Amino acid sequence: MIKFASLLLIIIGLYGILSTRNVIKILVGINVMEIGINVFIIAMGFVNDGAAPILSVDNPVNVLKFVDPVAQALVLTSIVIGLGITALGLVFARKIHKKYGTYDLSETGGES
Amino acid sequence: MMINPVLLIAIPLGLAFIAVVFKKLQGWILAIGVAANAFLVFFVEKGETAIGGFKLPFAISLVLDDFSFIGVILVNVLTLAAVAVAFRKTEKYVPVILAGLAGLNGMVLTGDMFNLFVFMEITAISAYILSSEGRKPEQSFNYLVIGSIGSVLYLLGLILIYGQTGTLNMSLMAEKSALIGQAAMVLPLVLIFAGIAVEAKLLPMSGWVRGVLGNSNALTGVMFASVYSSAALMVFGRVFSQVLIPGTTAGVIIIVIALLTFAAGQVSAFRSKSLRQVLLYSSIAQSGLAAALFATGFVFPAVLVIINNAAGKMIMFSTAGNLEEKYGTDDYVGLGGAFVRNMPAGVAFTIAALSLTGLPLVFGFYAKLNVLAAYLNQGTFFVPAVVLAGTIIEGAYFIRILIKLWAPGKEGEWADADQSVGEKKIFNPAGTVVVILVTLLIILSGFLPDSVGKLVAPGGGLLGDEGPSISMTMEKGGDQ
Amino acid sequence: MNLNLVIIVSVAFAIAAYLVSKVNDKAGAFMTVAGSMFALVTVFLLRNSIGSEISFLYFNFNLTVTGWYFSLVMLTAYSMTAFFNPFWMKKLIYPAGYNFLYLLSMAGTLGVFFAKDFITLFVFWETVVWSSAFIIQMGKSRQAAYVYYVISAIGSMATLFAIMFAYGTTGTFVINEAFKGLAGYPGRAIVIFITFIAAGMAKIGIFPFHVWLPSAHGSAPHTFSPVLSGGLVKMGAFVALLSVTAFPAYEIFKDMASFRGIPLPIYFMMALGAISIVAGTLMAIKQEDAKKLLAYSSVANGGYILIGLLMLDQVGFAGGMMHIVNHAVASAAAFLSIAAVAYRTGTTKMSEMGGMIHRMPVTYLVYLIAIISMAGIPPMGGFVSKWLIFQGLADKGLIFLATTAFFGSIGSFLYVFRPLSAVFLGQTFTRDLEKKEVGFFMMFPMLILTLLSLLTGVFPNIFLRVVVEIQSAFGMLPVTLAENTIVTSNGFLDAFRVFIVFGFGFAIAFVLFVIRRKSRKVELMDTFTSAEFIHTRELLHYSHSFYAPFERLYEKAPDTMKLYHKAAVKINELGNMAESAFFGIRPARTVLLVMGMVLIVIIAGGVL
Repeated sequence: MIKFASLLLIIIGLYGILSTRNVIKILVGINVMEIGINVFIIAMGFVNDGAAPILSVDNPVNVLKFVDPVAQALVLTSIVIGLGITALGLVFARKIHKKYGTYDLSETGGES
Repeated sequence: MMINPVLLIAIPLGLAFIAVVFKKLQGWILAIGVAANAFLVFFVEKGETAIGGFKLPFAISLVLDDFSFIGVILVNVLTLAAVAVAFRKTEKYVPVILAGLAGLNGMVLTGDMFNLFVFMEITAISAYILSSEGRKPEQSFNYLVIGSIGSVLYLLGLILIYGQTGTLNMSLMAEKSALIGQAAMVLPLVLIFAGIAVEAKLLPMSGWVRGVLGNSNALTGVMFASVYSSAALMVFGRVFSQVLIPGTTAGVIIIVIALLTFAAGQVSAFRSKSLRQVLLYSSIAQSGLAAALFATGFVFPAVLVIINNAAGKMIMFSTAGNLEEKYGTDDYVGLGGAFVRNMPAGVAFTIAALSLTGLPLVFGFYAKLNVLAAYLNQGTFFVPAVVLAGTIIEGAYFIRILIKLWAPGKEGEWADADQSVGEKKIFNPAGTVVVILVTLLIILSGFLPDSVGKLVAPGGGLLGDEGPSISMTMEKGGDQ
Repeated sequence: MNLNLVIIVSVAFAIAAYLVSKVNDKAGAFMTVAGSMFALVTVFLLRNSIGSEISFLYFNFNLTVTGWYFSLVMLTAYSMTAFFNPFWMKKLIYPAGYNFLYLLSMAGTLGVFFAKDFITLFVFWETVVWSSAFIIQMGKSRQAAYVYYVISAIGSMATLFAIMFAYGTTGTFVINEAFKGLAGYPGRAIVIFITFIAAGMAKIGIFPFHVWLPSAHGSAPHTFSPVLSGGLVKMGAFVALLSVTAFPAYEIFKDMASFRGIPLPIYFMMALGAISIVAGTLMAIKQEDAKKLLAYSSVANGGYILIGLLMLDQVGFAGGMMHIVNHAVASAAAFLSIAAVAYRTGTTKMSEMGGMIHRMPVTYLVYLIAIISMAGIPPMGGFVSKWLIFQGLADKGLIFLATTAFFGSIGSFLYVFRPLSAVFLGQTFTRDLEKKEVGFFMMFPMLILTLLSLLTGVFPNIFLRVVVEIQSAFGMLPVTLAENTIVTSNGFLDAFRVFIVFGFGFAIAFVLFVIRRKSRKVELMDTFTSAEFIHTRELLHYSHSFYAPFERLYEKAPDTMKLYHKAAVKINELGNMAESAFFGIRPARTVLLVMGMVLIVIIAGGVL
C-alpha cells in the first residue's frame, strides 16, 4: 500500500515538473519526487512486524524479522543528496531571478 | 610501489576541501591535485578493495580491473589536459573540478550500485556548477532538473532490482540477476538506463546538452564532452555489459534508443550552424554508438569509440570554446579562415575531425573498423549500414567546417588568406603543447593500432569479449 | 629498391617539400618534381620484381603487373603535372600544404595499387581522398571540395561495408582470397559486389556519382586538375577492375540471369557506364568553361573505361586497359595546356579568350593532339583503345552499349574542338596580344605527354604487351598481337600504317598551308555594327552559345546534382525534427519522453 502511495508521490512530482514553468515550483516538484522515492525505498525494506535492526536487550541476536537496514542507510544518503540538489537548484533560481527579474521560465525569453 | 585506489578519490576530494580554505593557493592546489592523480593512476593496485571495515560483499568496494583501469586513465589524463588547456578559466571552480574528479574516479571505480549513485550525484553537482560558467542560469537549471529526474529514476530502478536480488554489490548482483526472469528485469533496466543516460547524453535525457555544451568554453566544453561523458559511458558499459546484462526485450529497447540517439545526433549536427552545436550533437551521436555497442555486448569496440571520442572532442571543444571567446561567434560561417594563421590548432582540429569520422591513418579508423567487424562477424548488417550512413553525414559536416576554417575566399575565386576573419591565436602556448600532444597520440596510435588494441583488449576481453575482434596485421586476420 | 621504400621515400619527400616550402615555396615545388620523378623512375625499374611482397606496419604490399601498370599511369600524371607546380605557388593559400598533400596523395595512390589486402587498400584510398579534398579547397570553389568529399565518402563507405561484410563471411582481407568464398552466398555476393564497386564508380565519375567531376576538376588549382582527371580518376578504374577480377563476378554470378553472356549485376554497371557516356557528352557540349568541359569529357571517358574493363574478355578489356593510359595522357595534356593558357591569361572561360595560337603555338599543338586522342581519331592512342572497345562490344552484340559508345564518340567531336576553336583559333583579344608562350619548364611535360599520345597511337603494342601480361595473370585469353598489328575476330589494326597515311595527309595539308598563307588578320571589334556600339565583346565571340539550338533539345534534362541537394535538404529537415523532438531545452519535454519510453517498455514488456 505504502509502495503505491510513494509511486503516486513520484508521479505527482513529475506532474509538477511538467505542469509549471515556475522555477521554485519545479524545485518543489523535484522534492516531492525525491520524497516519493525515499518512501518507496523504505517501503521496499519494510518487513511486517519487523524489529528495528539494532541489537539491544529487546532484540537479541537471533531475532530473524529485522527491517532491512540497508534501505534505511540508502535513504539517509539519498536525503542528503536531495538536500544538496535542492540547495543548488535554489541558487540557480536566484540567479535566474537576478538576471531576468522573474522566477517564471516562460518569461525569460527562452535563452539558448 | 602500488597504491590503494581510494587515493584516486581521496586526494582530489581532500584537496577540494583544502582549496576552499586556502583560496590564495587554489591554482597550485588544482595543478598538484590533477597532476598527482594523472600520475598516480598508473600505479594503482589492481583488484577489488573493500572500504569501510566490512567484509565483501557487504562492504562498499572499489574495483580496479582492466576495464575500469581504462576509465580512470581517461578521466584523470583528460582532466589534466582540460585543466592545462584552459588553466586561466579554472579560477572560480577549483573545488568544483577537484570534487568532480573525485566523483568521476569513484563512478568508474566503484563496485557497488548505490555507491555508484552517490558518486554520480557528486559528479552531477559539480557538473551543474560548472555549467553555470555559461552564464545561462536557465540552462543550468534545466540541466539540474533533468539530472534530478534521472537520479530518481535510477534509484527507482536500482531499488526494484535490490528487492529481487537483495544485494548492491555489482558482482553479486550480476550473479543473482542472471537467475531472475527477464520480464521482471525490463522495467528496472530501462529506469537505470534513463538514470545513466543523463551524463552519457543519451536520449531521452539529452535535453540539457544543447543548452549547456552550446554555451561551453574551452574548460567546460572539454570537461563535459570528453571527461564526464567518457566516465558516464564507461559506467554505462560496466552496468549494462557486466552487471545487468539486458535480455532480449530490454536489449532491443536499449539498442534501439542508442541507435536512435546516434542517428538523431548525426542529423542534428548536420543541420547546425554553430561550431559547438555541431560538436555537441556529434558527441551525442558517438555516445549513442558506444551505448549501442555496450548493450550488444561488444565491449572492445565500444571502448575504442569512447577513447576516440574523448581525445577528439578534447581538441575540438577547446578549439571551439577559444574561437568563440576570441572572435565572439562560433557560427562557423563567420569564422572563415580562422586556421590560416593558426597552423597547429588547425592541424590538431583537422586530425581530430578525421579521427572522429573514422578516416584512416588516424586512430578513429581502427575504432570504426572494429565496430563494423563486431557486427558483421555476427552477421548483423543493419547496424553497420546505419553506422556507415552516419559516417557519411559526419564526414560531410566536418569537412564543411574544415573547408570553411581553412580556406577563406569567395566562391569562384582562389582561396585567399586575406579573406580570413583574423589573426588571433586560438591557443596559448601551454594549450598548444597539450593539443599537439593529444594530436600526436591520435596519429601515432593510428599507425600502431594493434599496440593500442593490446592495451585496451584486456578491458574488453574481461567482459566476455575476445579482445581485438579484428587485427590490422594480416597474420592474425588471415588465420581466422 | 622495394615497394614500401618507394612509398616511404615519397612520404619523406612530401615532408621535405613541406619544410622546404616554409622557407621557399618555389624550392618546395621543385621538391614535388623531384619526388614524383623519383617515384616514376623507381616504379618503372620495379618491372623485374613483380610478384614481390613486403609488409610494413600493418600494411601489406605486393606488386602485380596490374598495380605496376596503373601506378606508372598515375605517376606519369603526377610527375608531369609537378613541373607546373613551381609557377603556381603565388596563387595558393598554402603553398607548403599543397606541396605536402600533392606528394602525400601520390604516395597514397601507390599504396592503393600495391595493396595486398583490403585494409591497406582502403587506408591509402581514404588518405588520397582527404588529402586531395584539402587540395581542391585551395582552388576556386569551396563547394567543389565539399561535393567531392561527400560523393567520395558515399562510395568509399559503401566499399568499406563490402570489405567488412566479405571479411565477416570469409574471414580474410587478402584481396585475392576475401571474395573467393562468396560463391556459396549468392544473396550476399550481390550486395557485396554492388557496394564494393561503389567507390570505384564514385571515383571514375560514373552516373549518378559524376556530379563531383565538373566542380572539382573545374575549380581545383590548375595544377591539380590534370592529376585529378588524368590520375586519381584511374584509381576508380582500379577498384572497378578488382570488382571483376579479385571479386570473380563472372564466376559468382554465372548462374544468374544474364544478357548476352553478361550477368545482370555486371550488365547493370555497364549500363551505368553507358549512361555516363551519354550524360558526360551532352553536358560537355554545354559548358562555357574549358576545364569544366574537359571534366565532363572525363565522365564520358570513364564510361568507356568501365565498360571495357567490366567486359573482362579478350578484346574489350584490352581496350579498357589501353584507354586508361590514353585518357590519362590525353586529359593530363589537355588540362595542362589549359593551365598554361590560364597562366598567361588568368582565365579558363572560353568566351574570354581567342586566337591564342598566335601567342602560344606549342600549347595549341599540345591541346590539339590531346583532343585528337580523346575524340578517338587516328593516329592517336585514343583511336586504338576505342577501336578495341568497339570491337569487344560488337563481338558480344551488346547493341545498347555499342550505340551509346558511338554516340559518345561522335559527340566528343562536338565538344573537344570547341575549346580549340574558342581558345586557340579566331581573333586574339587585344589584351592578350602581348602574351608569350610558356617557358620551357612548363612546355617540357606537355611535350612529353604529347609524344606519349602519339606513341600509344603509333606503336600501341608496346603498351598492349603489358596488357597481355595482365590478361594472362587474370587467366583471360589475351588479346592477339602480331608484329605491330592488333588482330581481332573482325579484322586487324596496323596502327603504324594508319599513322603513315595520316602523316601523308598532314604533310600535304601543311604544304598547302605554307604555299597559300594569305589571310588578313582582323580584330574582333573590326566589324560593321549598324552604327551601334558594342560593349560586351564576349557576345561577339563566336564560341558564345555555340551549340544553342542543339542544347535546347535537352535543356530540360534532369540535373543529378538536384538529387543530392534534395537529400541534403531532407537530412536537414530530419535534423530540425530531431532537434526539436529530442534536444529541446525544456525539461518538460524530457519528462514526456521518459514517460513515453516507460509506457512503451510496459506495453512491449507485455507483448514480447
